[in-house]
This record gives sequence, structure tokens and C-alpha cells, in this order.
Amino acid sequence: MNKELQMRATINQKLIEMGERERLKELLRAKLIECGWRDQLKAHCKEVIKEKGIENVTVEDLVAGVTPKGRALVPDSVKKELLQRIRAFLAQHST
Amino acid sequence: MSGLLQTQFLASNSSRTRFLTSVTQLDVASVMCPAGCSHVNGFKVDNWKQNLRVIYQCFVWSGTAETRRRKAKSCMCHMCGAHLNRLHSCLYCVFFGCFSKKHIHEHAKNKRHNLAIDLLYGGIYCFACQDYIYDKDMEQIAKEEQRKAWKLQGAGEKFSTWEPTKRELELLRHNPKRRRITTNCTIGLRGLINLGNTCFMNCIVQALTHTPLLRDFFLSDRHKCEMQSNSCLVCEMSQLFQEFYSGHRSPHIPFRLLHLVWTHARHLAGYEQQDAHEFLIAALDVLHRHCKGDDNGKKANNPNHCNCIIDQIFTGGLQSDVTCQVCHGVSTTIDPFWDISLDLPGSSMPFWPLSPGGDSTVVNGEGHMTGSTTLTDCLRRFTRPEHLGSSAKIKCGGCHSYQESTKQLTMKKLPIVACFHLKHLEQSVWLKGALVDDRRGEPAACSSTSEELLKLLTSGSASACHEQSSSSTVLDFWTSQTMRFEHSAKLRRKITTYVSFPLELDMTPFMASSKESRVNGQYQQSVDVLNNDNKYSLFAVVNHQGTLESGHYTSFIRQHKDQWFKCDDAIITKASIKDVLDSEG
Repeated sequence: MNKELQMRATINQKLIEMGERERLKELLRAKLIECGWRDQLKAHCKEVIKEKGIENVTVEDLVAGVTPKGRALVPDSVKKELLQRIRAFLAQHST
Repeated sequence: MSGLLQTQFLASNSSRTRFLTSVTQLDVASVMCPAGCSHVNGFKVDNWKQNLRVIYQCFVWSGTAETRRRKAKSCMCHMCGAHLNRLHSCLYCVFFGCFSKKHIHEHAKNKRHNLAIDLLYGGIYCFACQDYIYDKDMEQIAKEEQRKAWKLQGAGEKFSTWEPTKRELELLRHNPKRRRITTNCTIGLRGLINLGNTCFMNCIVQALTHTPLLRDFFLSDRHKCEMQSNSCLVCEMSQLFQEFYSGHRSPHIPFRLLHLVWTHARHLAGYEQQDAHEFLIAALDVLHRHCKGDDNGKKANNPNHCNCIIDQIFTGGLQSDVTCQVCHGVSTTIDPFWDISLDLPGSSMPFWPLSPGGDSTVVNGEGHMTGSTTLTDCLRRFTRPEHLGSSAKIKCGGCHSYQESTKQLTMKKLPIVACFHLKHLEQSVWLKGALVDDRRGEPAACSSTSEELLKLLTSGSASACHEQSSSSTVLDFWTSQTMRFEHSAKLRRKITTYVSFPLELDMTPFMASSKESRVNGQYQQSVDVLNNDNKYSLFAVVNHQGTLESGHYTSFIRQHKDQWFKCDDAIITKASIKDVLDSEG
């Protein structure tokens, strides 16, 4: 595993251990609801289901159909803020 | 048979496909995978429940520090080491694998372990069925473990979509009529007949029935009555909500409510005009006392920690700090409050308390108002350090002697609904005691007060000042809107004429914590815009017009976020935000 992946793993471990990951998840959830992202995606999901037909759609279909759009629709401000939070956390807990 | 399927379908939902309940109609036969699949039967042997719980606790929803550490260390793909890519854990052995990279699929094929759990959301995947499955027992365990973890993290009860029970499904089927809440519907609005100067009660009732949290409490039948007789005011409130939301458009006659109020708050009985503010406090008090059955019994014996709905919504904590001027020791007390009574400029009380070298612009009723006063001005004045004069020395615990001191009030704990009481009129005691002494009968000194009183008095003569025999009050209600159960409140301020109040109010500057950080020299320049905890939204205003002898209360209440209505006893009319803000409050 290269250095970057190693670092990612370490950061992730730290976040989980300190419970910060959960807190960040909650913050992210709130922000995404506020900015309407969740409603947009919900609508998109319904479209995917309509396309595939409710009898046949699987979670895989949804994940494949929704993930790219979901990633693209996240507002920059939300990304920025989360990044800031993570940076602050790491600065506070650097070994 | 189909009924059974429906229940199971609705009861077992993974977070990913939860939204499907809104897509499918309640009465459409279930078309998703039937509950569970036959392949789980191979898993459900021996001590499977406990094993599954352990997996949830350790790897999915880690509540304790111990489990979090274990999760951090071990949750990575056994094939490529990544912790992303929708990591799944095999249910039959200790193996973690990426889903996106199909590492877990390989494992499943090789070992014929056909069940895996998604470590992000807790969903169970069956490789034989090639989809996530929703086994009722497993879903039950998942939900319990998730709740446990939330509790451990201190997150309390989080929002989860409503899933009807069997009984509820039955009720829904037997009562097919549905009421649709559109933006224009006026459900919840109903006039109240005036039973003889009961407009003071009507206004408060309108405000209470439009308090969202209170409404939700009563409409979801949360009151369990422990009173034997029929005299429970909470039960009557419950009935009242039923009446308001029944859809009837004719005004309601609240005679039972009035009778109960007379019974329990004797000082309010009688047919003369009463004070709306007094009624509010009395009503909250009686409701609080009658709510005994509703708290969880844990804190029932501690009067300061009542868990009833009234306390949860309306009770705040007011911190009073008395600082000794000599040793600077601070003695702090915190008192619960249901409302904040604010003195207004132009009152006989000095608007800005005189401190040594104070810059008070209004002194003893002879004030000049520079521009209109805002609610924040009043709050600032309320929370300003006040020098208790040399005639009111406090025994200091540090100096062990009587010293001069300053006293300051700040908000320790904000209530969810804050009631502001603008004291437009004063008690006769004050008026007579302060005004007469200071004015020495000079009408000039009275005029500034009467300016204030003019709105309420039909005759603005100085002599009318003397005749005030009770106080007229104005109440503004603010509520913090909670998004589901997460703390995110929006404040609005309203400014009435003479005291203007806004639609949004931020109480942060008046908090005890803000005061402390100012004192410590860390003045927060950048207010955390995202911190909505201290912000309020206006939703009700109670106004009084006319004189005390023949006056009338009306109220404005907010429906649907932006629509305001004026409630004048039995007559409800649409109002504009401007009407509301221009009212005297």
C-alpha cells in the first residue's frame, strides 16, 4: 500500500477511535439535508426505480445509478466545511 | 396473507431503501423481496443472535471507546487493505472485503459463505439472492444495536421514519379518509367565542395551540392522565387540540376550559378583564402540576427537574451573578423561568440602571427616546450589570462583611419557547410610588410616560396616568424550530411599535456563556453562523388595545412558516407580516 493510502487509513483510524467520524457524519447529514441535496437525490432515486421497474430494481442498480450524481451534487461549501473540520481535528490531535 | 406481507415489508427496511415506503402505497401488495430469504436459515443456528449483536456492536455501530478502537484497527479489506469501497464483513467467518472491488464476492464464492453485512449501514447481503435482504429478526437486532450505540454516544433518540404497527395499519384501513396538509389549508385554526371578557384567555389559547411542540405532544396522545376526577386541565387541553384540528370552521366555545381555569386558578375567576400574562403563567402552572403522569417517573420528586412537556418546552434558567465590589467574588444562583418580563423605556423605572458614571439616557421617566427602541435594547438592559446601591449591601461570603455589589442577569439555559412580556403598563404601586414622588405633580414628567400609555389609553391626559390600576401586558412568543431531534433553532425578533421586535432573534449575546467569554477576554468575533442553538423564530404575538377598564386582547399567530393570522375572539383573518411587526406587541 502506498504512502497516501497508508495515511488515509491512519487518519480514518484516528477519526473512528475518537468518535469524530460519527460526529462528522451527523454534521454532514444535517448539512446535506439543509441544502436540499437529500431531496434531489431522493427524486433521482425514484427516477431510477421508475426506469428499471420496481419489481426488478436491486440495490446495485440504485448505487450505480445514483452515486455519480450524488457525488457531483454536493455543494462546495459543504465539502470545504467538512475539510476544515477534519483539518482542525487533526491539528488538535497530532501525535 | 397479504396483510401479513405488508406488515413485514414495512417493518423491515434497510436505510438504503427506506424511501420505498413512500413510493409504494400502503394497500399495494408487497413487491419487494419477501422478508428475508431462505438462505438465512443456514445462519440462524446456535447462538446466532448474540454473534450478530457482537458484529453490530464492534464493527457497524461502535458505541464504546473500546469497540471504536477495535473497529479502527481491524476494519479493512483482507485482500487490499482499503477501508473504503463499501466494506462488508462475512457473517460466517472473520473476513472483511471490499464490495465495490468484489473482494467479498470472491470470498463468498470460495468459502460458500453467502451472507455478508455492510459495515456502513448494517444491511445484510445475500450472495445467493444477489441483493440485500430484510429478515425481520435481524432487522430487529440491527435497530436495537443502533439505538444502543446512539445512546452511548449521547446522541439521544434520533429520527427514524415511522413504521406503523399492526394495530395502526388496522386503524388506517378502517378509517380511509385522509386529510391533506397543503400550504393553503387552515387546519388548526379556529375562532374562540368570548364568554364575557375572556379575550385574554382566548389569545393565550391561540398561542398555545399553535406552539408546534405542544401541538405535536397533544396530537400524538402523549398525555396519560392520573387524575381521578374530570378536572384535569391537560386532558381539557387535549380535547381543545382535537377541537381545533377537527376541521370545523365554526368558533369553538371553550366553556369547559374556562370552568377548569376558574377552579384551579381562583385569582383569575370572575367576569372582569384579566391579564393575559397572568393567565399564561397560571395556565402553565396548572398544566405543569397536572402533568404528573407524563414524565418517566424518574425525576418526579424533584421540583427543579420536572420532565413534563411544559417544563421541556417553556422552562429556561436565569442566572443571577452578584459580584462583590471589594473581593470580586461572585455568588451565582440559577432560577427557572417561564417568561422574561422586560421593562420599557419611558417607564418610571430608570431604563438604564444607574451605575457610577452611568450613561443612562432615560432617567426616572423623563426620557427622550432616540429613535425607536428594539427588543434587543430591552434585553441588553435586562442583562446589564446593575450596581446595587449602598443601601442594598450584600453579605459577601469572601469578605465576610457587607459590601456593595453589582448584580447581573444572564440566560443560563434557553427554553425552547421563549415568552417575552413587554411591560407596557406598570403596576399601580410603582406608578404611584415612583411617578408621584419624582414628578411632584408636574405634568411634563408624566408626558413621556403617557406617550407610552397613549397607545393603551383613550385619553392621554396626565390624570389618566394616575388611574392605572393594573398592568397591561404584551407577550411575544418565540420558538426554536428543531429539525427532527437535532438542535437547530432559528430565532426571530419582532419589534413592536415603540419597542420594535424582529421576526428572528439571536439570544447568544445574552447567554451566561457569552458573558463569561467576554470577561475572559476572548471576544468571539466570528459568530459561528452554523450554530443555530440560540436563535428563535417568532410565532405568536398578543396585543392589548384600549384602556384597562375597557380593553381588548387580540393575537397574531403564525401558521405554516410564513402565514400569519389575526385572532380576534371568534374572528380569524389573514394578516400580513407587516401587520404583525407594526403591532405594539
